[in-house]
Amino acid sequence: MNTSMMLASAEIRRGRGRFASVVSALALIVFLVLVLGALADGLFFGATGAVRSTTANAYAFSSDAEGSLVRSRLDISDVAKFAQVPGVASAGPVGVLLTGGEGPEGELDLAVFGISMGAAGTPNTLVSGRIPEPGEVGVALADQQLDQFGVRIGTTVSVGGNSAEIVGIVSDTSYQLQPTIWTSIDTWRAMRDAVRPELSGEATQINAVALTTSADLGDIAAAVDGTNVLTAEATGLAIPGVEQQNATLNSIIYTTLAVSALVVALFFALLVLEKRELFASLKALGTPTSRLGWAVIIQAVVSSVLGVVIGSIVAQLFGLVIPASVPTLFRPETLITIGVFTVIAGFAGALFSLRRIARIDPATAIGGVL
Amino acid sequence: MSEQDATTADMGPDPLIDADQRPTALLQVRDVTKVYGTGHTAVTALQTATMSVEQGEFVALVGPSGSGKTTLISIIGGLLAPTTGSVHIGDIDVTALSRKELTRFRAERVGFVFQSANLVPFLTARENLLYVAGLIGSSKSGARARADQLLEELGLADRAKNLPEQLSGGERQRVAIGRALMNDPDLVLVDEPTAALDTALGRQVVQLLGREVKDRGKTGIMVTHDLRMVEYTDRVFQILDGHLTHVESSTGAGH
Repeated sequence: MNTSMMLASAEIRRGRGRFASVVSALALIVFLVLVLGALADGLFFGATGAVRSTTANAYAFSSDAEGSLVRSRLDISDVAKFAQVPGVASAGPVGVLLTGGEGPEGELDLAVFGISMGAAGTPNTLVSGRIPEPGEVGVALADQQLDQFGVRIGTTVSVGGNSAEIVGIVSDTSYQLQPTIWTSIDTWRAMRDAVRPELSGEATQINAVALTTSADLGDIAAAVDGTNVLTAEATGLAIPGVEQQNATLNSIIYTTLAVSALVVALFFALLVLEKRELFASLKALGTPTSRLGWAVIIQAVVSSVLGVVIGSIVAQLFGLVIPASVPTLFRPETLITIGVFTVIAGFAGALFSLRRIARIDPATAIGGVL
Repeated sequence: MSEQDATTADMGPDPLIDADQRPTALLQVRDVTKVYGTGHTAVTALQTATMSVEQGEFVALVGPSGSGKTTLISIIGGLLAPTTGSVHIGDIDVTALSRKELTRFRAERVGFVFQSANLVPFLTARENLLYVAGLIGSSKSGARARADQLLEELGLADRAKNLPEQLSGGERQRVAIGRALMNDPDLVLVDEPTAALDTALGRQVVQLLGREVKDRGKTGIMVTHDLRMVEYTDRVFQILDGHLTHVESSTGAGH
């Protein structure tokens, strides 16, 4: 191991140029993967915040809705039914309205959520201000993202002539990449009726029921006719496009990581090919094959680690200049996952060279030229 | 490398068999035959070769290319298994060692000097010596002291921190000699050491080799096609078409 380290480190230190090529290739791959990962995370978080960043851990829908909040139709009376199911700690109505609205600096695209403040489904990511009191009308919480449109505590946002004063700011509550405001069911209904007059007769209609529960979800759904219940996570994935986006981006990410294993495999295969004569003489001198193998593995892992470090620094810098309208989110968890996978890919790539090294015959060190 | 041949099993050291074999001989090669390939395509590279070399002797192995001298030295150095016959170095039957044992044996007991030095290009002169010391797990401080001493003796003290590409051909070959001696081996095997050098430099290197081998009480075998170099050796063996013959006792032995 000692001699392996000696070979590995001396070759990297004194042959920086050639190792720079594989390190930069890996850094570019890591950069690409991290940006894709940030986009995947950004899209996912932007689409699903409204069902992740609340006190609810499950949502009940009408059984024909296939887990879609906007398609689901329940009645306000269902809330009480769910609240009585054993194991349900809290149940709250959820009304959703995707619409345009008026902010302090002009028109906005919005998702308006009508909830029962304090009950299940209330955002739990308060950044500043306060959560409105239960039953308080004419007030709302706004997502932090609306800050860029001038929406802050004390300003008002109106939809269809119904205005709500912002009393608190919450984070990570976007829904289908739209920033949200959160208000009482009554205020939400007034807004809905103003922009969707055809629904104005349905005074008791809500979209879903948010639940805080530890009971079996199938049992809960069975207790209230015509409903099904999904976890908050499944609700997020059921939002149109989310699962497909995740699958597409993840397959690109993992394919790219496989490419990085190939890059490492090819680079070291070439390097070993070039060093056949040297390896033959080192074997003749009494170097076990395993030590030459370790030297290559050490070099592959060091190259991958350097590639990850450089690639992630570049990705972070890129994240600073990326326009805010592009939904990207650089998460440490994603960075660590991708970093670990890249190093594993580098390690796996180096393994391809081992057989080649094992096959080098030390006897070829003698004779040769003449 | 192929597996060891089973027919070597009955070969023990027996001083009565060979008339010219002295009891102090460090290296004993007995009836070594090497056949490459099988059936119609079989080629006999070496035909029942027998030789013995004493401790402190530096001998030459000459012959045209393709005569079998590379095969013989590879078998002696534990790089190639003979088809039949045995090789003893001291009390070790080289032909009975496993592949793993051979690797260890080469690191501990054999010093190699290759045709074109074959130093590790990204290690300095000193590191090239320390590398082989690392293979047998020598203590670091001991290895450093020995490497510095060897480089000093070989006139390379001021080149210790140079990479091979910064050294002349003669200097490189001297580093290779230092590397071969680093682990204090019993046997030093030298393969065409002058191949990459001009005549004057070649003579110097061979002279140095002969002196180092003799002064340190090693046993040295040098493969060469250059008959001008044999004057620095004690004895000369010749191989022609796979047949090994002891030619002469060279005069002027080593100095």
